[in-house]
Amino acid sequence: MTAIAVKRPRALSFGNLWISAGIIAVLLLYPVFFGKAMNFGVSTVLFAGFAMAWNILGGWAGQTSLGHAALLGVGAYTMTLLAIPERGPAWLHSVGIGSGAAIAPWWGILAGMVLAVLLSLVWGSLTFRLQGSYFTLSSIAVALILRLVAINEDFTGGSQGLFMPDLPTFFGLDLFDRRVEYGLAVGFVVITLIVTHIIRRSRTGYALQAVREDEDGARALGIDPARMKLIAFAISAALTALGGGLYAIYLQAFEPHTLLELPLSVQIALMAIIGGRTSLQGPVIGAVVLAVFGEVFRNLFSSANLLIYGVLILVVTLFAPGGIMGLFSRRGRRLGTAR
Amino acid sequence: MTALNAVTAPLLEARNVRVQFGGNVAVHDISLSARAGEIVGLIGPNGAGKTTLFNALSGFVRPAGGTVLYDGRDITRLTPQARARLGMARTFQVERPFEDLSVLENVMVASFLRHRGHKAEDLAYSVLERVGLSDRATQPAAELNLARRRRLELAKALALEPRLLFLDEVIAGLNPPAQAEMIVLIQQLADSGLAIIMVEHIMQVIMTLSNHVVCMAFGELLAEGDPKFVANHPDVIRAYLGEDDD
Amino acid sequence: MNPDFQAFVQTLVQGLLTGGIYALVGIGLSLIFGVMRVINFAHGDFLALGMFLTLFLFKTVHLDPYFSLLIALPLGFALGYFIQRFVLSRLGDRLSESSMLATLGLGLIVSNMLLLGFGAQPQTINVPYANNTFTLGGIQVSIALLVAGLGTLVAIVGLNLLLYRTELGRAIRATAQNPLGAELQGVNTRTIQATVFGLGVAFAAIAGVLLLPLLYAYPTVGETFTLKAFVVTVLGGLGNLPGAIVGGLFLGGVESLGSFYISNNYRDAYGLIAFLLVLLLRPEGLFGKTVKRV
Repeated sequence: MTAIAVKRPRALSFGNLWISAGIIAVLLLYPVFFGKAMNFGVSTVLFAGFAMAWNILGGWAGQTSLGHAALLGVGAYTMTLLAIPERGPAWLHSVGIGSGAAIAPWWGILAGMVLAVLLSLVWGSLTFRLQGSYFTLSSIAVALILRLVAINEDFTGGSQGLFMPDLPTFFGLDLFDRRVEYGLAVGFVVITLIVTHIIRRSRTGYALQAVREDEDGARALGIDPARMKLIAFAISAALTALGGGLYAIYLQAFEPHTLLELPLSVQIALMAIIGGRTSLQGPVIGAVVLAVFGEVFRNLFSSANLLIYGVLILVVTLFAPGGIMGLFSRRGRRLGTAR
Repeated sequence: MTALNAVTAPLLEARNVRVQFGGNVAVHDISLSARAGEIVGLIGPNGAGKTTLFNALSGFVRPAGGTVLYDGRDITRLTPQARARLGMARTFQVERPFEDLSVLENVMVASFLRHRGHKAEDLAYSVLERVGLSDRATQPAAELNLARRRRLELAKALALEPRLLFLDEVIAGLNPPAQAEMIVLIQQLADSGLAIIMVEHIMQVIMTLSNHVVCMAFGELLAEGDPKFVANHPDVIRAYLGEDDD
Repeated sequence: MNPDFQAFVQTLVQGLLTGGIYALVGIGLSLIFGVMRVINFAHGDFLALGMFLTLFLFKTVHLDPYFSLLIALPLGFALGYFIQRFVLSRLGDRLSESSMLATLGLGLIVSNMLLLGFGAQPQTINVPYANNTFTLGGIQVSIALLVAGLGTLVAIVGLNLLLYRTELGRAIRATAQNPLGAELQGVNTRTIQATVFGLGVAFAAIAGVLLLPLLYAYPTVGETFTLKAFVVTVLGGLGNLPGAIVGGLFLGGVESLGSFYISNNYRDAYGLIAFLLVLLLRPEGLFGKTVKRV
């Protein structure tokens, strides 16, 4: 040991908690100033959470999925089907489970999360053998097959989709009240941020980054890449389904054509990538920036709102591979070296 | 030491390992063994199959025949990650740091194998001190020069706290002072009880460090024995002279 | 003829003709992948561009859809050439994932521009022969579909002549196999890559023109065809041109037979399932060599 006391650098940290705290503070202040624009607020905050959840697989594990709408859909459909007595509960009752009464949305969301995790484990163990773009292609295919099932089967409400007439109150709060939904959406983002910060400090986070950079290099260090990717996918799936359940409450009625289509998956992925997939909070930033852009240009572009996504992803791939957050640090605010 | 080694069972034992790519036999029934505290040198001209043999021993390539025993256990079919957990570590000839991570974080990926939280970080840092990289701990690994990348490779392997170490050309390409430092370090590691199998191009390095030398050419065993014996073996001399021709 | 058998043949013929168009879409994608290792996510959107160009020319100057081929071909080529030369080539040797995302962005730009220009309403053109059919041995064949099939055939033969009978083709093949080696032999690989992207886009645009008499055009129609092109090329093996042709015919046949015999609702699923199975079991494609691609 040397006698000179040099300050020893630390690597193990949760990452910059102040940025996350700042983001949460801004989100909480939003209703104070924009109480009239709560629809915009709820959907933006939910998408921020989706982008964060996507990034656990897409950023940390480096697996670009363009099929996350399917996981969102599993959350939304499971929760809603269980909340409508004539659908899920009636069917469960017919096979001897439950009383046929509506199942509360929080249990429904939990069930959706479990189903999404199971789906991700099967899906991932089949497709993680494929490298890079091949995984991306397969994710599109899996999601579209699920979409066709939702459109064509009766139990999912077919192409008509589903409508939730009512929901029980949540600790006395009306779940269809936009302010309540906003609070739940912020809670969702907080959860995704907490999970991300925990990953940042954990063995799992280090292993995921190693797998993303170099699978063989990771294997040599005792890491099983397939297992790590599955873990990331399962966490990502659970969180996405959680948000999907909240999204269903926000929509109250939804149809497979809008909920399960490819553009939704693309939107979630691009929010995270444009925000900065190798930064801790980049996806939230990306979601907010894109949503604001979309809102500002709403009159100009009306339904062509994905135009801005196309332009920005092109700009990012050409000039800023680290995304928006990457611009604020020397080599991009990397997951690893971010403080 | 040598007397003790003679009676202890080998930590790693490869028996008639054969590796085939399609119809090409890249490694032809090679056997070798390594004991704790022993340095085995693997030499041979370019394309002799040394790295392929390494890959077979560390699990990255599945042998077409033969067995690999570690601590008396058959590990021929184990994955690289399972072998790493058992205590086998390797470096890569073309060093492959995780470029987005800092030097310290690179090593922590490895030290997390056996430790949690701050213990993993402390171990990683002490390994960096050992290989002389601690002053670079916060630097992104992508910015390291070749010599430091080699040390980082070694640090990652050591942070696994292995019992057996495969070193794939960690010395060639370094400047002479760096070479000397690396040689001292490897000797220290062996003295601390690690079994080391190393591929190296520089004959002199192998001759100074190794207790036992195996020479391959075109996937086949040319000669093996103590360094002097192998260095003076006519087939070995011919193989190396032959290489000089092209 | 036994009516069951006749129905089968009818379904199959219909499927194979549609498959011919899928092949045309797939070939462009496969060509681009074969030379640049880029999966072009905008491929279907270039097809949509071809459709709308035809629609526009028909509505403004009453140009017969098949004549707009003469405009779509050079225009598509120029667009593709430009995109590769001035946009995608800037990505340099960055991961193929960046190129994938860049083409995804281009596709979104194209489809949303079409949306701004033409609105979301599905549109088509009324040409007298669009719904004409003729009967051959009890099998009904749509004329427009047959023309599309013949167009595919001409385009494929043309591409083959280009690739195997010309100096340019030799340079393209050399670039596909070994860009560095080609460069050393004096091939300007940047120009070649731009040319190949141009060809790929031209093929997509041609397919769009041929499809317009058969289908409604709407701005996001490309998404479907991008997916069909993925399926076709993966079935045939990415970068394998004859494979893409067989893949296209296979997809057309599977879809047609599947919707006839199993369920029409899952028409799009049969191809996707075949696609997943091939990706998982034979990533080199149905007809590739049994060398595993890593």
